[in-house]
Amino acid sequence: MLNMNNVSRIYRNDTIQTHALRDFSLEVNTGEFVAVTGPSGSGKSTFLNVAGLLDSFDQGEYSLDGVSVHGLKDDDLSRLRNEKIGFIFQSYNLIPDYSVFDNVDMPLRYRGFNTAERKRRVEQSLEKVGLASRANYLPSQLSGGQQQRVAIARALAGEPKILLADEPTGNLDSLMARQVMELLHNLNQEGTTIIMVTHDPDQAREVSRNIQVIDGQISDFKIYAPLQSSESSSTETINNKERVDA
Amino acid sequence: MLSYNVKLALQSFKRAPSLYFLVLLTLSIGVGLLCANLALVSSMAGDPIPEKSDRLFHVSMNTWPTDKPAAEPFHILRYREAMKISESDIPKHSAVFYASGVYARDSQSISLKRFDSSVRATTPGFFALTKAPFAYGNGFAKSSGMEVVIGDQLNQKIFAGANSVGKTLELDGELLTITGVLKPWYLRPLFYHATEGRAFNLTDDIYAPLETAIDLGWSIHARTSSAVSYKGVQFTRDRDVFYLQAWVELEGRAQQQAFQNYLDNYSQTLKDAGEHPLNILNELRDVNAWLSELKIVDQKVLAFTLASVLFLCVCVFNASSLLLSRFHSAKFEVGLRRAIGASNKNIFNQGLTESVLLGLMAGFLSVLLSWLFLKLSITFLPDLANIAVLDPKLLLLGMLLALVTSVSSALYPLYRANRYTISAELK
Repeated sequence: MLNMNNVSRIYRNDTIQTHALRDFSLEVNTGEFVAVTGPSGSGKSTFLNVAGLLDSFDQGEYSLDGVSVHGLKDDDLSRLRNEKIGFIFQSYNLIPDYSVFDNVDMPLRYRGFNTAERKRRVEQSLEKVGLASRANYLPSQLSGGQQQRVAIARALAGEPKILLADEPTGNLDSLMARQVMELLHNLNQEGTTIIMVTHDPDQAREVSRNIQVIDGQISDFKIYAPLQSSESSSTETINNKERVDA
Repeated sequence: MLSYNVKLALQSFKRAPSLYFLVLLTLSIGVGLLCANLALVSSMAGDPIPEKSDRLFHVSMNTWPTDKPAAEPFHILRYREAMKISESDIPKHSAVFYASGVYARDSQSISLKRFDSSVRATTPGFFALTKAPFAYGNGFAKSSGMEVVIGDQLNQKIFAGANSVGKTLELDGELLTITGVLKPWYLRPLFYHATEGRAFNLTDDIYAPLETAIDLGWSIHARTSSAVSYKGVQFTRDRDVFYLQAWVELEGRAQQQAFQNYLDNYSQTLKDAGEHPLNILNELRDVNAWLSELKIVDQKVLAFTLASVLFLCVCVFNASSLLLSRFHSAKFEVGLRRAIGASNKNIFNQGLTESVLLGLMAGFLSVLLSWLFLKLSITFLPDLANIAVLDPKLLLLGMLLALVTSVSSALYPLYRANRYTISAELK
């Protein structure tokens, strides 16, 4: 699904050049739920931005769902983002004066669907996140958890191949965070590939794979069994290079 | 997508009404002021008779009887030269005339109220030459006869706009029958009599046969030059009194050359007979060349128009700056839309739709402001009354100008919006 090979991203200014990603290699298969952890400034968000085609990279190769993104024009990148990727942001990023329906409808507008198809998809997405009855509400009339669910519905509306979530529960209290995580797990069980940046080790432990990023590189590679069966499983650390070679 | 972009634009206006109102006002004032000036320039510099302006020629001749003419060649002619022109069969049409004035009333009316009326004492070819538009009847056929054609304004005043053909007017005590009534007729500039600061006068109230006007002694209300003394216009036919203007309609270079030769031969004959000592210098200038020669476009108005163009540029920069701040504050939304699949082209089209809508609104407002500026101009400068006119072409130009300035104002902000790093705007 997602294949990065020796990807580097360097930010430069007049005096400093910062390697936000350094020879970053990763393969994520269809249906995986991958957690990306690491300290602040380690390159997690840069990885997510590059993976989500929100940012470019300087070196290396990256293909998404079999499409090499290197050298693609803006129109093609936008189409890839629209058709294959769903974003979930920490701050929800809903347009405050749009209704829930209009917020979820936004990505579909750029896909060229007719009104009926858009309506069907929006309603289906809202149904999936349990907010069908709130379609006409404004985001300000919803709780934080509900707003994040609207953002998830927006990400799902385009039926993307992969969901990229950047600390999706970072702004939520524990109860709401739990609800959002359950929703993500459900989506994953239905077959959606998810990559999630998180600071929460518990959440990282819940998913099928955890990647730790330090100084723009994958430092090691932990595989956790799902939480419900974690008592009988062990944590395995594999050197990244070995894994790639394997 | 267009309807979605329109919806987004309206939402954007709703979000920052004060800012968009300022942009609207800034552009409208700039465009409105320029349009008002262009209306003046357009009236001054416009072609009053575009369909044949290159075929109508004003005749100037150099036949002053002494070697010290007041000007050479003269744009006014003696009766004898005017008749020479009139009797030539080279031009398709010719008109020889002078300006006069009478008091007019309906001879059948019980009211004794008389209207001060401008008169064009002319040969009959005037109507075909100038394409004078008739509402009723037609022109008189001869240069003499107690007949007149009247303009729409006088017909409105005396006959309330009704068909007055066949009715009799009392003009300075003489009875003349109306053969034709003109439709409202605007010539800007008044090319057939653009001298003596009359280029922006209205067309005449009364058109009378030349010989009749001379016989009735209707005085000359225009520049005259004479080398002799005379008591009245009726004594000018055989004297060196220069007061008639002449226009001819010539089709093609050959006809123009033939008529030039005709005039030159006539002048040579006079010179040979010792009637004038001057060089042969007869000039034919078409409508636009003649108006250009007279420099009827006010240089102050031109300078003010240039200032208006610069002012509009300042308005565009201001509007652009306001829009830049607006787009800057919308960086988050642009970033979000880009993240969920909008291309740069989508964002550009969205901004373009917004600026086109803004331009359309600015167009309507600027046309209204143009009209107000012109009204204001007339209040302070009543001489502009006949030229301060917003014709449909200018209204359209105003709309287009507003549209273009609005889009231009948005171009840089849109360019900047498309340069935002998507990831930097989202968390």
